[in-house]
Amino acid sequence: MSSFPINQLVSAQWYALYDFHILWVFQKQQQKKDKNTKVSVCEKESKLPRPTRVKNKSPEAVQITAEQLLREARERQEPEVLPSEHSITDSTELSDYRLRRRKEFEDRVSRGGRSDVQVWVNYARWEESQKDYARARSVWERALKDHHRNHALWVKYAESEMKNKFVNSARHVWDRAVYLLPRVDLLWYKYSHMEEMLGNIAGARQIFERWMNWSPDQQGWLSFAKFELRYNETERARSIYERFFLCHPKASSFIRYAEFEVKCGEVSRARDVYERAMEKLEGGYEEAEMLYLAFAEFEQGCNEFQRARVIYKFALDHIPIGRAEELYTRFIAFEKQHGDKQGIEDAIVGRRRTL
Amino acid sequence: MDGERRVHPDCINASNPYHECVEYCFKKIAEAKAKLEKQGLVEAVSGQSRESLADKRIEEASSEEEEEDEEDNQEPQVDVTKLTGRKKKLFELKLKMNEARKSNQTDVGSEKKKMEAPTEPKGISKQKWVEARQKKIGKILDANGLDMSKAYMLDTQEAAETKYKKWEKEPTPSGWDVFNQKTLYNAYKKRTKNIQVDIEEYNRMRAADPEFYREASSLQYGKAPKISKDKIDKMAKELHDREEKRQEFSRRRKFREEKDIDSINDRNEHFNKKIERAFGKYTLEIKNNLERGTALPD
Repeated sequence: MSSFPINQLVSAQWYALYDFHILWVFQKQQQKKDKNTKVSVCEKESKLPRPTRVKNKSPEAVQITAEQLLREARERQEPEVLPSEHSITDSTELSDYRLRRRKEFEDRVSRGGRSDVQVWVNYARWEESQKDYARARSVWERALKDHHRNHALWVKYAESEMKNKFVNSARHVWDRAVYLLPRVDLLWYKYSHMEEMLGNIAGARQIFERWMNWSPDQQGWLSFAKFELRYNETERARSIYERFFLCHPKASSFIRYAEFEVKCGEVSRARDVYERAMEKLEGGYEEAEMLYLAFAEFEQGCNEFQRARVIYKFALDHIPIGRAEELYTRFIAFEKQHGDKQGIEDAIVGRRRTL
Repeated sequence: MDGERRVHPDCINASNPYHECVEYCFKKIAEAKAKLEKQGLVEAVSGQSRESLADKRIEEASSEEEEEDEEDNQEPQVDVTKLTGRKKKLFELKLKMNEARKSNQTDVGSEKKKMEAPTEPKGISKQKWVEARQKKIGKILDANGLDMSKAYMLDTQEAAETKYKKWEKEPTPSGWDVFNQKTLYNAYKKRTKNIQVDIEEYNRMRAADPEFYREASSLQYGKAPKISKDKIDKMAKELHDREEKRQEFSRRRKFREEKDIDSINDRNEHFNKKIERAFGKYTLEIKNNLERGTALPD
């Protein structure tokens, strides 16, 4: 806010008024001091603020602006007083410094540490910077006592162990974390990643197996399959996909499995998967629609147009008319691409009939 | 007037009784002569891009008019095919100088922009801008006889394509949803993309270990395998890299000395920035009214 004038406040006459006010307050104080003086009516009247004697109520010629005030205030700021730089030259000085810092941290932690995890983290990180790993560990453990449900804290602890190259300690921490918070995917991801980075593939596999026993979400299964594929273990990946859709019997899992097979180049297997999916269909019509669409696309991809046509027609027969929008549009597009004139007309007429 | 005039008979302005040929005229005459020769030449003389440009012009439009227009618009251009040796070098140097001058100017402009404070967005609030834009679009639509509902017809093809892309893109999660299943998975995928897979070592390990494909409850879990030091170092290094990447996530903004100060302190300034971020767009109108002294009738 720049040129917002403060009108009469700073005019000279206001100062005069202010003087009167001060005088009045002073008088009041004096009277309070002599308790014996009775306050008569006429004196009471004179205690009221005097009528202003300001004759000229127009604003002063030179006004001060808010911006000017701000600038002046800014200029008059004294620079912050920082403690002077002090370099440590001696072991006694070092231990003094450490003692001081530890005391600070302990105070902070005891004061507000119940709810604030970051204080603990800073304390532990400082101890690590002082290369005192035993103390750092004890700080982490104390933090975990209060905040064992905080998965970020577990991650920070384990990663600090990893950074300082204490592999077995890190393993221990991850194990505990994963035991306490099995539903937090982040911990599983990071644990298996650590084992993989260390080259302990069998260990990583065991961790993934452990995770799968908890029947995680779709992404968990997929990451396991990806892990196996990284080492060219396609058979194992296949078995994982089988288990995957046993765990999640949905159309999307079938579709992913089939996509995987197609990526491996096993077209016949993919077809088997789709056919199994058709048989096992339990889901509602939306899932069925998705499945049919994916199957038909797959057949199109294999250049099997007759089969695709059959699938589309089958799907359109089986799905109630209201739900099959996407199917119809895709079918018409397909016919336009690969069908003959009769086919296209049939498709469009069929669509029109439903609308 | 007639006798002493220095007029070349081939000059195009020869008919003008007051014209006297100067160097420019001679150049033009030379160009005209060269053009007549060039029309026979289709092959380009290799070398400068200007030459190839000139050739393209020859190839594309054999009409003389186009060439004349192009050449007449600019300064007296040198006839490139006639340049030899030093003149050619001079021409190249001139080109370089021009380019350098242009790039210098653009750089100076952009630096100036960077150094100064950004133009204050005080002025029009977003709502007003949207309304103004809608009015503009409405006018254009009326001119074309269209309805407001057909406003999309004013988009160019590129604009329409960018719009489709935006619609198809899923909105990035924000707030509490930032670490949902999908994003965690994507982060994991990104991280594991750079893992170097050593197949031989893998096969060796597979041969050595009878329980390579172990179950979840295998007792091999407790047995810590021997891990080479460089693997551990690699792991630590990867963690450090991740941390650095994390630091770069939000960049530090440049400190600009504002012409307009609204704080008495550094803490105050910081606070004002936060407040501006949160409430700025709602209070813009009010601020403008206060500055002006009166509210606008709206």
